Amino acid sequence: MSDDDPKRAADSGDDAPTRPAGSGEDEPQTGAKSGGGARSGGDAADADGSPIAAAREADSLRGAAGALVGGLTTAERNVASALGAFIALLLLFTAAGVINPTYLLYLLSLAGMYLLLSMGLNVQWGYTGLINFSVAAFFGLGAYGAALVTSSDAPITIAASPLLGLVAGLSLAGILAVLIGIPTLSLRADYLAIASLGLAEVVRLIINNEGQWTGGAVGLSGIPRFYENWPVLGDLARGTPTAAANLALVSVFVVATYLFLRRIHRSPWGRVQRTIRADEDLAKALGKDTFRFKMESFVVGSLVMALAGVFFAHLQLYLAPTSLLPTQTFYVWIAVILGGTGSDRGAMFGGFVIIAIREGTRFVGGSLPIDAGPLRLFLIGLIIILVIRYRPEGLLPPQRELVWPGASSSQADGGDGQ
Amino acid sequence: MVRENLSRRTVLKGIGAAGMVSVAGCTGGESGATIGMANSETGSLSTFGQRNARGLEIALSDINETGVLGGDLEVIVEDTQSDSGAGVSAAQKLVNQDSVPLVVGAVSSGVSLAIYKSVIQGTDVTQISQNSTSPALTNFPDLLRMSPTGAAQASALADIIDEDGHGKVAVTHLTNAYGEGVAEAFKNSYGGESKLFAHDQGKSSYSNVITSMADYDADAWLFVSYQPEFTTMAQEAFDAGHTDIPIYGSDSVKGPKVLEQSPSEITEGMTLVAPSAALDQENYKQFAKAFRENNDTEPTAWSAYAYDAVVTAAIAIEAAGSTEPADIKAEARGVTGPDGTEVFSFAEAVEALGDDGSASDVNYQGVSGPIDLDKNGDPRAFEQIFQVQDGKYVSQGFIAGE
Amino acid sequence: MSSLLQYFVNGLVFSSIIVLGSVGLSIVYSIADFANFAHGDTLTIGAYGALVALPTLSGIGGELLGLPLGFYGALLVGMALAAAVAVATELVIYRPLDTDAIGMLITSIGVAFVYRAVLQAGFGADFRSYGIERSGPIPGIESALGVTITERSVVMVVCALVLVVGLHALLQYTTLGRKMRAMSDNPELARVSGIRTDRVLLATWVVGAALAGAGGVFLGLSSSIDPRTGFDLLLVIFAAVILGGIGSVYGAMAGGFAIGMVHEFTPGLTEVGIPIGTDYATAVAFVIMVIILLVRPSGIAGREPT
Repeated sequence: MSDDDPKRAADSGDDAPTRPAGSGEDEPQTGAKSGGGARSGGDAADADGSPIAAAREADSLRGAAGALVGGLTTAERNVASALGAFIALLLLFTAAGVINPTYLLYLLSLAGMYLLLSMGLNVQWGYTGLINFSVAAFFGLGAYGAALVTSSDAPITIAASPLLGLVAGLSLAGILAVLIGIPTLSLRADYLAIASLGLAEVVRLIINNEGQWTGGAVGLSGIPRFYENWPVLGDLARGTPTAAANLALVSVFVVATYLFLRRIHRSPWGRVQRTIRADEDLAKALGKDTFRFKMESFVVGSLVMALAGVFFAHLQLYLAPTSLLPTQTFYVWIAVILGGTGSDRGAMFGGFVIIAIREGTRFVGGSLPIDAGPLRLFLIGLIIILVIRYRPEGLLPPQRELVWPGASSSQADGGDGQ
Repeated sequence: MVRENLSRRTVLKGIGAAGMVSVAGCTGGESGATIGMANSETGSLSTFGQRNARGLEIALSDINETGVLGGDLEVIVEDTQSDSGAGVSAAQKLVNQDSVPLVVGAVSSGVSLAIYKSVIQGTDVTQISQNSTSPALTNFPDLLRMSPTGAAQASALADIIDEDGHGKVAVTHLTNAYGEGVAEAFKNSYGGESKLFAHDQGKSSYSNVITSMADYDADAWLFVSYQPEFTTMAQEAFDAGHTDIPIYGSDSVKGPKVLEQSPSEITEGMTLVAPSAALDQENYKQFAKAFRENNDTEPTAWSAYAYDAVVTAAIAIEAAGSTEPADIKAEARGVTGPDGTEVFSFAEAVEALGDDGSASDVNYQGVSGPIDLDKNGDPRAFEQIFQVQDGKYVSQGFIAGE
Repeated sequence: MSSLLQYFVNGLVFSSIIVLGSVGLSIVYSIADFANFAHGDTLTIGAYGALVALPTLSGIGGELLGLPLGFYGALLVGMALAAAVAVATELVIYRPLDTDAIGMLITSIGVAFVYRAVLQAGFGADFRSYGIERSGPIPGIESALGVTITERSVVMVVCALVLVVGLHALLQYTTLGRKMRAMSDNPELARVSGIRTDRVLLATWVVGAALAGAGGVFLGLSSSIDPRTGFDLLLVIFAAVILGGIGSVYGAMAGGFAIGMVHEFTPGLTEVGIPIGTDYATAVAFVIMVIILLVRPSGIAGREPT
């Protein structure tokens, strides 16, 4: 076991330039080191590992020397306060009547959906380093699965309960994940990207063209709300009450997913995933069946994305194949990169930012000489370039997520590493 | 480090401030009225969006010459991006944030349906689609539209092809709501043999579709597509030497650039059916004149529909005498006829309404035709048959729907 | 039988465009070492470059193979513009980046969006055409072989062939070509042995983008262009490159040829009773790519990364 440490140190050093992007140069080193400390399982290596890890973190994260003290890192504190200020501003406006509550609740629900999508992608990309460009396909299958099972207008009408639809959507996505994963997960990273993008397009084409099963290009209507048949919620008036219920629903999804992901991230399973991301050969050398682990990560991520899709179907009450276009995938990728690869909170932040861009450009609209469409494209392209150029690890890169709980010598409250 | 923190915070606050400033601007007034429009400014249907915007421009200038409820009519336009997800967001903003009593939307049938199901249905807000043609909208009586259902031109085409003596037709159609709607309706109305060949929008080569159609060995070909796609297919059909096959087309393949850029060997003699603007009517001529002056090109029926959608909305508001959604909804259908004095412009309608007229007192004859929304919210179909002769579209007559 | 021949001819024409795109992408891939998602939009840039140049150049009289000489001038302009934009992007955006292949891939997505936004802002979203008259199938060939092919298709195939042979000559017989091959094989060794890798990289961008630009111009020639044309083709081009194997230019040629053929042979599927319509043509191409990758993960002619 202790043989691993020097090897890992050497490997980490060599691997730094070719590490998957978005984690910055030092994080994975830290991660690997801390992970190594954890793998030694509570012996002296633990105590040795963590101060060094903390010190390296401090050096590399500008001015994060006091980071582990006080519960939140500097980056997190900044983002949290900025986000807090922004939300306070929104609430103020709503109270003053400037922002309509129903609309705000709707936007927040959408943001919640993107949160889910980002968290799902984060499992695949952030934990395991899989470049999955078929996000839209899992999202779409989750949505279509739920819709086809619950809609009263579906070509093959089943009109079952939305809970059954939820199961159907997730199952379809899981099966697709296995089908896509088998040929692609053993490919090198960029092949995986392109192959997954191609297969997502195949899924979209099938849904679009086989109207006799899916409703085709015209789309699918008659989808009920998720809580349609529930005692109190089913009778809610349209407008603010329903919007609030939707927001509550997505919040439940988000919280449940977050807790679940946190659990698996800190488990031995999560450790193996991080090792695979940092150095797959090392994981293999340690005797792990990396293909199986990658597949599991792929499936878990896809289930989370499908959950977002199920919510989407019951939010919009209407579904069309245009929701599976590659643009959807790219939006989620931007959210994850912006927010910080490997970090659940970062992915969530990125989700908020995406909604801000997509809906915010509505408000800025006609006041500029360029049309809205090209302007939005341009902005998004520019943001991607700027983020990779100046802050490739994202705005909220994983810091303490990579420190094994108990290995850091910080205070009690934040000490669980998340 | 400190600088970096500040800049991030400032940026985020700046977004918030910008949001506040732009949102604070919208309010209704006590006079005048504000409605919303969900348009495809970007995305695959942006060409139609542009045509709608031009129709809207002229409608606004005509309406505001007289004014609505003692003030101006304002239209808040939101981009649907030709996508149902973004379309619903647009409608959410218009209905909930901007509290408009009426929404003109959308271009794509899928987007119109999405907006209806998820935002409008069950509320008192009126929705008038300016361009959606899918037969599916007929199933939703409260979803009004200015463009006739594609089923009308499909059955017209079926009749024409039948009368021309063709027993076997190869139909190629777009893989979207419009293409599938019209093609399916055609298949159902046409008595002879037919086969559907789907093609995607925006591709650079359709030679494999043309080859498939040729292999099917039909008597005639029907194209249900948009101008760019049809132009490419016409060029490739010409390249492949299929100049002898009689060609038919649906409304959206018609356009001035198409004839310019397609080989005449293919397009000459082609027959099309297009929903027609009421070309001989005085009000259409006025509309077309203003359109030409603004835009240096002829209007399409799509601009005419958008014009009529906005004018109908304005008349409904006047008839209701208020901007309450429920009041407007009660009047919207009726102002288009068939009861009441025939009026051909907004100004005339206001006059006919007088001080407390209502929907049954006025029958708006739009620039696109008599409209006369039926119980399903569909207008009376008013199709025109064209044939290409000497590189021009020549009218062969009209078919009016019942 | 003649329909098979017709599919083959159609495939040849479509392949010309794909091959120009995939070869260009492959060179950049193997030397700059990342998957350039902005490559599709580079095609579009070339197409619009020619569009802008045509009116000015149409004054030149004369014809070559049925197309006005002005067209060939516009072709060169399109290629040059694509090359210039690519070099500028490399210098301003890619070079200062300190990230790895995946980061570059993601950046190139951003670059693709920027290219498209600029084109759309400048030219609008509506489709444009070069306005060169079409002349129909060449009569002699139609009666002799039963297949239809037009003069401009012949031009496309010939030009593509010329460019590809030119590339081969460049790689095999020039110093620059030797350096490019060296960099593709082993960048560190190349640098150590004194090759000015940054210059070779720039040259690679020039060549790769020029080829893509040519592909875009031929796209415009065969139908019409709008800002989304290139991106729609991008996936197909990637399929071709991967099918052929990254790191091998000749693999990319083979892959482009194969994908183009598959695309045009899809009508034949329904003839033999397989109910897959032409609306699935690109889907079929992808599935084939994935199948090949299953069997041979580095592509037909590719090498494992060093």
